[in-house]
Amino acid sequence: MKVMVPIKRVIDYNVNIRVKTDGSGVETANVKMSMNPFDEIAVEQAIRLKEAGQAEDIIAVSIGVAKCQETLRTALAMGADRAILVQTETPTEPLAVAKLLKALVAQEQPQLVILGKQAIDDDCNQTGQMLAALLGWAQGTFISALNLDGQTLEVTREVDGGLETLRLPAPAVLTVDLRLNQPRYASLPNIMKAKRKPLTTLTPDDLGVDISPRLTTLKVAEPPQRQAGIKVSSVAELVDKLRNEAKVIS
Amino acid sequence: MALIVLVLAVGIFSLSRYPLTMHTPQLEQHIPAICPVRTDPDSLSVYGRDWSTLYPARPSGIAFPETIEQVIALVHWANQQQMALVPSGGRTGLSGGATASQGELVVSFERMNQILNFDPVAASITCQPGVITQTLQDYAAERGWYYPVDFAARGSSQIGGNIATNAGGINVIRYGLTRNWISGLKVVTGRGELLDLNKGLIKNATGYDLRHLFIGSEGTLGFIVEATVQLTRPPQQPRVLVLAVPELADVMAVFTAFRQHLELSAFELFTANCMRHVVARGVPQPFAVSSDYYLLIEFESASDEPMDTALQLFEQLLEQGKVIDGVASESEAQAQALWQLREDITEATAVYQPYKNDIAVPVGQIVPFLQAANDLLSREYPDYEVLWFGHIGDGNLHIGVLKPAELDSSEFAQRCAAVTEQLAQLLAQFNGSISAEHGVGLTKKAYLSYTRSATEINYLRTLKQVFDPNGILNPGKIFD
Ligand SMILES: Cc1cc2nc3c(=O)[nH]c(=O)nc-3n(C[C@H](O)[C@H](O)[C@H](O)COP(=O)(O)OP(=O)(O)OC[C@H]3O[C@@H](n4cnc5c(N)ncnc54)[C@H](O)[C@@H]3O)c2cc1C
Ligand SMILES: Cc1cc2nc3c(=O)[nH]c(=O)nc-3n(C[C@H](O)[C@H](O)[C@H](O)COP(=O)(O)OP(=O)(O)OC[C@H]3O[C@@H](n4cnc5c(N)ncnc54)[C@H](O)[C@@H]3O)c2cc1C
Repeated sequence: MKVMVPIKRVIDYNVNIRVKTDGSGVETANVKMSMNPFDEIAVEQAIRLKEAGQAEDIIAVSIGVAKCQETLRTALAMGADRAILVQTETPTEPLAVAKLLKALVAQEQPQLVILGKQAIDDDCNQTGQMLAALLGWAQGTFISALNLDGQTLEVTREVDGGLETLRLPAPAVLTVDLRLNQPRYASLPNIMKAKRKPLTTLTPDDLGVDISPRLTTLKVAEPPQRQAGIKVSSVAELVDKLRNEAKVIS
Repeated sequence: MALIVLVLAVGIFSLSRYPLTMHTPQLEQHIPAICPVRTDPDSLSVYGRDWSTLYPARPSGIAFPETIEQVIALVHWANQQQMALVPSGGRTGLSGGATASQGELVVSFERMNQILNFDPVAASITCQPGVITQTLQDYAAERGWYYPVDFAARGSSQIGGNIATNAGGINVIRYGLTRNWISGLKVVTGRGELLDLNKGLIKNATGYDLRHLFIGSEGTLGFIVEATVQLTRPPQQPRVLVLAVPELADVMAVFTAFRQHLELSAFELFTANCMRHVVARGVPQPFAVSSDYYLLIEFESASDEPMDTALQLFEQLLEQGKVIDGVASESEAQAQALWQLREDITEATAVYQPYKNDIAVPVGQIVPFLQAANDLLSREYPDYEVLWFGHIGDGNLHIGVLKPAELDSSEFAQRCAAVTEQLAQLLAQFNGSISAEHGVGLTKKAYLSYTRSATEINYLRTLKQVFDPNGILNPGKIFD
């Protein structure tokens, strides 16, 4: 089975995000960028399928600026076989990404596309679902466990009421949640090998997809500052404040 | 409860060597006129000792001064009453420096915890001694600056305690010890006199620099009541490698190769069993292979160049068989998770009440020393688990001997003390130190003479006499 893993380059999870003073976006100059953490889990899952003999070719795909090559190299160092960069300076929206991925699926013919459930920069949580709809494939979203039996996938999803288990036929789109696995580190020998693995660069035009933005950003603002906590001197005062100020008990 | 009362009683009877004449009820009469005080059993056991477990917590009370004037008043009062005072910071010390086992009055700085001034031109912060190390680091980071002294106890230790121990930590190889970052110090001496030392100056060629006497004095010369610390530019995109090194003899070859070509901000060693304890706590295991020794290396990687250099070095060392595997952080989260392998060792093994050595030798002597120490420890501790970890790039190694569950604590401590005597002799042959960064306190007092000559110790005593003639400040710490 061929597996495609789309990955996004985002501001590192541990970086303190700063909003630009003109409100046009967030500061990205000299900021540490890394692979979207959910995508690391997707890459790890693909590698585990390969290690279990259930996948043979893992293609990592990224859409964005030239620097996304670094992120792809990380996926290659983890264990992906080859990489494709769709290079563009245009900000990428979920629908545009889903269309590009659809075109790449047509080209590469994978049976499985594994994505992160969302990217931590825009938190859209849309790309996987849109891709499944465009392809007309089955989808298993927010999965926390995966069992592959021939052409049948059994996935466990974390839903509000507990765990839901679904069976889907391949080809399918999967989006992964945090508890699916613990991604491995890139080993230094593999980082060196990754430098020699194939990385192809395409443009949206090559794929015949129009990715002009459909959304307009009006303004980006800091979330309201969290109020400092207070100390209460007695349980009675605490209860009083919970009842009369916070109004969380009656 | 009964146990604690008994402990207190013992504390009061065993005071003969220390100039203590007060006991709890009188404390409560006198101290409140100066500053808040506590004498309840819970507080006595909490504030009576640091992370070292060898000595009991038996203070008479805990004073919580809020101003410099109150500290001065406490010292005057203690001089009149011949009352021993124990300065107390975050009590993360590992040598018993902040331990009060003899009915002393603990002086806690936790209420003097204000940051007083930030000067972006001087790149400095002036603060009270009770500011938590991490609070200081975060305060600097929020302003685009960096306070580089850093170690696992950062969330509890205080800047006053860091100064009093001249704390080191994980970035010493690049930034040096606490001493390098203190440009001003206010201290209240054992005579109750306030000294305002160096006042934030970078240059001040006016004779003896007393500031440096108080840095690392473990609370025996004066109370640190205010400090000006210097800041620097934050490191750009630190990258962490962990390497698997099979042979002890190769550890320093790896060090030399990396240090010659990269500006390192950390070079740390830990053994396979350290890794096992930390992984058992849920920290992700980085390797498929296992190895006897692991090295953690950190450097800045704002451009590709440092990582390319590191990969070349790794390739050469791999060919030579000096390393067998390695991993690199690809994100901040991974960098932090790799650091946990090293930083969580102390906490992961705390349940075994480890007996700790914190030793240093000149960096060039590390390998021959480690081989000799390895022989000594495997001969003397055949049945105990021994952990080796530390800031090996500074010539500093921590040795933790885990107490077997069935063994009585004091018997264990006695056996370890006997081995430490031999270790201290070995250190003397290598021009090493019996305490690299944790201080002498109580735990290393018996071995001081292996590192410091008799003449030197005489000068130390004379200095103590100058600043604390009645011996009220942390008596019995460092030397008797
Ligand atoms: C998990 C862990 C990791 C650690 N790692 C390191 C490390 O890497 N490097 C390192 O150097 N240390 C390390 N330590 C030891 C310890 O954290 C340091 O020695 C630290 O500087 C102690 O600060 P503190 O505020 O806790 O001081 P305390 O333990 O409260 O006191 C230490 C000494 O300073 C004196 N003192 C405290 N405050 C004052 C004051 N205001 N005026 C005068 N004297 C005072 C005390 O009397 C005592 O002698 C570690 C400890 C732990 C628990
Ligand atoms: C052109 C010029 C430029 C200068 N620029 C600088 C500058 O940029 N920065 C700076 O810091 N200084 C500067 N200096 C001052 C001077 O060079 C320094 O103070 C230098 O360190 C003195 O070294 P010296 O060997 O000449 O010492 P000396 O002048 O011989 O002695 C200086 C002091 O050290 C004592 N002393 C000397 N040797 C010993 C010893 N072995 N043991 C104990 N005490 C000893 C002496 O008793 C005296 O008190 C400059 C001087 C000149 C003439």
